[in-house]
Amino acid sequence: MRLEKSGPNVVLLSLTLVALAAWLGLDTVSVAANRIVPGTGYRVDEVIGAGGALATALPWLALAGFAWRPARRHLLLALVLVVLMLSALPAWLALSAVTLVDAPQARLGIGAGIWGVLFLLLLALIELRTRLVLSRLLGWALLLPPLASAALCLARWLEPLALWQEYRGRSGQFLGAVGEHLLLVGVAVGASLVLGVGLALAMRRWPGVQKAGFGMLNFLQTIPSIALFGLLLAPLAWLSANVDWLSALGVSGIGWAPALLALVGYSLLPMVRNTFVALEAVNPGVIDAARGMGMSRGQVFRQVRLPLALPVILEGIRITTVQAIGLTAVAALIGAGGLGTFIFQGLGQAAMDLVLLGALPILLLALLVDALLGALTDILRPGGAE
Amino acid sequence: MSKGRRWVVPLGWLALLLVATFGMGQLEGVFRWIEADSRQVIYARADFVTLLGRHLLVVSVAAVLAILLGVGAAIAATRDWGRDFLPLVSQLASIGQTFPPVAVLALAVPVLGFGTLPIIVALLLYGLLPIVRNTLAGLEGIDPGVMEAARGMGMSGGQILRQVELPLAAPVILAGIRTSVTINIATAAIGATVGASNLGDPIISGIVNGNTAYVVQGALLIGLLAVSVDSLFSRLPLAGSR
Amino acid sequence: MIDLIHVTKRFGDAVAVDDISLSVARGELCVLVGTSGCGKSTTLRMINRLIEHSEGEIHIDDQQIRAFREETLRRRMGYAIQSTGLFPHWTVARNIGLVPRLLKWPKAKVQARVEELMALLGLAMEAFAGKYPHQLSGGQAQRVGVARALAADPDILLMDEPFGALDPITRQSLQDELRELQSRLHKTIVFVTHDMDEALRLADHLVVMHQGRIVQQGRPLALLREPADGFVESLLGGEDRGLKEAALLPVSQRMLPLGPRLLARERIGQHASLREALSVMLWRHAERLTVVDDDDLPVGELSLRRLVGVRSDE
Repeated sequence: MRLEKSGPNVVLLSLTLVALAAWLGLDTVSVAANRIVPGTGYRVDEVIGAGGALATALPWLALAGFAWRPARRHLLLALVLVVLMLSALPAWLALSAVTLVDAPQARLGIGAGIWGVLFLLLLALIELRTRLVLSRLLGWALLLPPLASAALCLARWLEPLALWQEYRGRSGQFLGAVGEHLLLVGVAVGASLVLGVGLALAMRRWPGVQKAGFGMLNFLQTIPSIALFGLLLAPLAWLSANVDWLSALGVSGIGWAPALLALVGYSLLPMVRNTFVALEAVNPGVIDAARGMGMSRGQVFRQVRLPLALPVILEGIRITTVQAIGLTAVAALIGAGGLGTFIFQGLGQAAMDLVLLGALPILLLALLVDALLGALTDILRPGGAE
Repeated sequence: MSKGRRWVVPLGWLALLLVATFGMGQLEGVFRWIEADSRQVIYARADFVTLLGRHLLVVSVAAVLAILLGVGAAIAATRDWGRDFLPLVSQLASIGQTFPPVAVLALAVPVLGFGTLPIIVALLLYGLLPIVRNTLAGLEGIDPGVMEAARGMGMSGGQILRQVELPLAAPVILAGIRTSVTINIATAAIGATVGASNLGDPIISGIVNGNTAYVVQGALLIGLLAVSVDSLFSRLPLAGSR
Repeated sequence: MIDLIHVTKRFGDAVAVDDISLSVARGELCVLVGTSGCGKSTTLRMINRLIEHSEGEIHIDDQQIRAFREETLRRRMGYAIQSTGLFPHWTVARNIGLVPRLLKWPKAKVQARVEELMALLGLAMEAFAGKYPHQLSGGQAQRVGVARALAADPDILLMDEPFGALDPITRQSLQDELRELQSRLHKTIVFVTHDMDEALRLADHLVVMHQGRIVQQGRPLALLREPADGFVESLLGGEDRGLKEAALLPVSQRMLPLGPRLLARERIGQHASLREALSVMLWRHAERLTVVDDDDLPVGELSLRRLVGVRSDE
């Protein structure tokens, strides 16, 4: 966009320098004798010596050099370098594992330095993608080499990695949790989609429903999730104790039933709001023209209003789904299962890598769903992507 | 709406919150009915006033820091000297929105350990995003003609910021702060699982011990707190206007 | 008063304004006209340094504009733009008082000045002072915009298509008011427009720009009579130029003293334009008009032959 500007790319330059400081100054890995004791941190120079550490500064300085003179060619080189450095992070872990871990019980933890550098490199990637005006798809494709490198390192050298150990200890359970998580999110979003669209249509017909409906949903959204899960506990427990067929279904104060109810409640507001706004916001001139051409009410709705509103409705589904992925994690507290279970188990046992095993996939899931539904919205928008 | 009447609703919620906080003990009969089997039906490890106070303290410290940092960052990214950072900051704010609050909280613990500090940091980080996003939207959404006129009339950068940009963006910024604080009241409660003591405590302890009465007590107070704060925000003079 | 000397503006590799030189005399209304993207707005905005020029010099009162602090420079020039740029969160009165307050005038003086300007622009104090911009019509908002530009009594007024977004009737009445105002205030005005009729109506000095260059400048009539090239000619309206010129000339310039003949029945005021006179003739099927003064007393007569400029009558 502002490629013609000849000065340094301040953003990339500052990201690079901060990342270099984090790389050299913070612990990149930690080694613990077993699962429970806290580990000892190791900086770069403590793993490969001061000379080696200085050598690892070289690619950073090259990156800074590209940022200093950001011609398009230099930015492309910087992009390649950033991807390579991202791919090198798992290799660094592998190297540390081979050098530092000797006892079979010992575990390798990922240090603040690596997390910081990972974060800053991803920011640099975003910045470069924006400056070079690359498509979203290409941006995602750039993550493939680092992922491949991570997979390779995990398979060959990273057995002592604590996160990996936690996963291997419960790989079956993990897949089950992912399944539960997705099932809860899917059912909640599906149910709220059906209910939400119905409610939005009713609101368009009866203004009274609109005011009351939005008032109610807004109020519901204000109540913290943990409180809503909690408040549903008592009535559902009472119902399951007193209504036989409900308890036969598995409804109880704890478990999937209150979780699902609360999830649907939360999901309704963004769903209804977007559907309603989308249907209302269709250019009245277009509707007028359609009616003027002799289309019937139903035809106008199905052939004009709905297709034009679809991208905004999808946007609502995207927001709802991302939100539901996070809320489902909280639902683990009331025994609904899912990835949140690992988080709360880990917190309970002070096993931080178990917490990561829950939190990281939730984060990735949210990002993935966001990206996929975002891309779908772009495609469905008349005129196609971007 | 007349000046006095606009505060009736938030004050009503606030009064209800205080009554519930101070009077929870008087409701023993009700909770005895909910949880007939337990020996104890009123959460007693800490009194509710202390829990409410700690909850408010954590949320407000995080909110004040998030407002200072978030509004500051957004202002910096929209000045001439900081404009290079604008694309990155706005993309980061929108990507960050997809991070579930629980995950952010959970990720803060391995780095910062248990206790109040990781919660404040996690709330701060998470609370930053809506504030940054809304401040950017508010500042960027100002009619370019207004900005051009302000410069053309000879207002200095500081004068434009104070007299034009911030007043015009205020409703949008305030909406961001409202979202941020509302989410953080809820997230702070989950913080009880990482060792902070606040209104989330009775809920967690109730779930762990199978004592529904505790859960209801915690949930009731958090719900009332969230609704009171939200309704206070909605009545602020700038929030509804224009 | 304002001198641009070999001024060039580049945005990256693109040249927006290409080596232009221009002098605007004190009390003159200079109109920059041209198609969109010709560099006229850029030129205007270089004068108050909203855009910094790349090469050449710009002087105000023989001082380089870069010798001033940007804010100081702008506070001594009025600035009015098409979108008005009124601050939506301020009342009309507060908007008008902006620059005097920036200049730290005492409160009472600001208040008095605001009242004076509202009266000058026909905005009733009690009706408008407390209103917010979104409560005004387009014409009213633009009046407030002009009042704000005039607030600190600057010598120079920069106007960027101020009437561009108004309906034709409102636009014309504001043009008339501006001319009226100018005949009393004698500001040095630089006015940008793409509307040639507006340019011809207002300009003392007309500057035609095309692709970043000045293609011709001078008095409007001179341009009409001798356009430098086909571009200026087509911009001036091609075959319509006759009517445009007629619109600039008053009846008094072509009328003959009252002769021995009977007075013609149809009348026209002596300050009306030749174009209006022609229209009356066409409409009334008359070859002669009686010219009357402000008190409706006959002062001369105008024939079709005189009007179209045949030198010898009869």
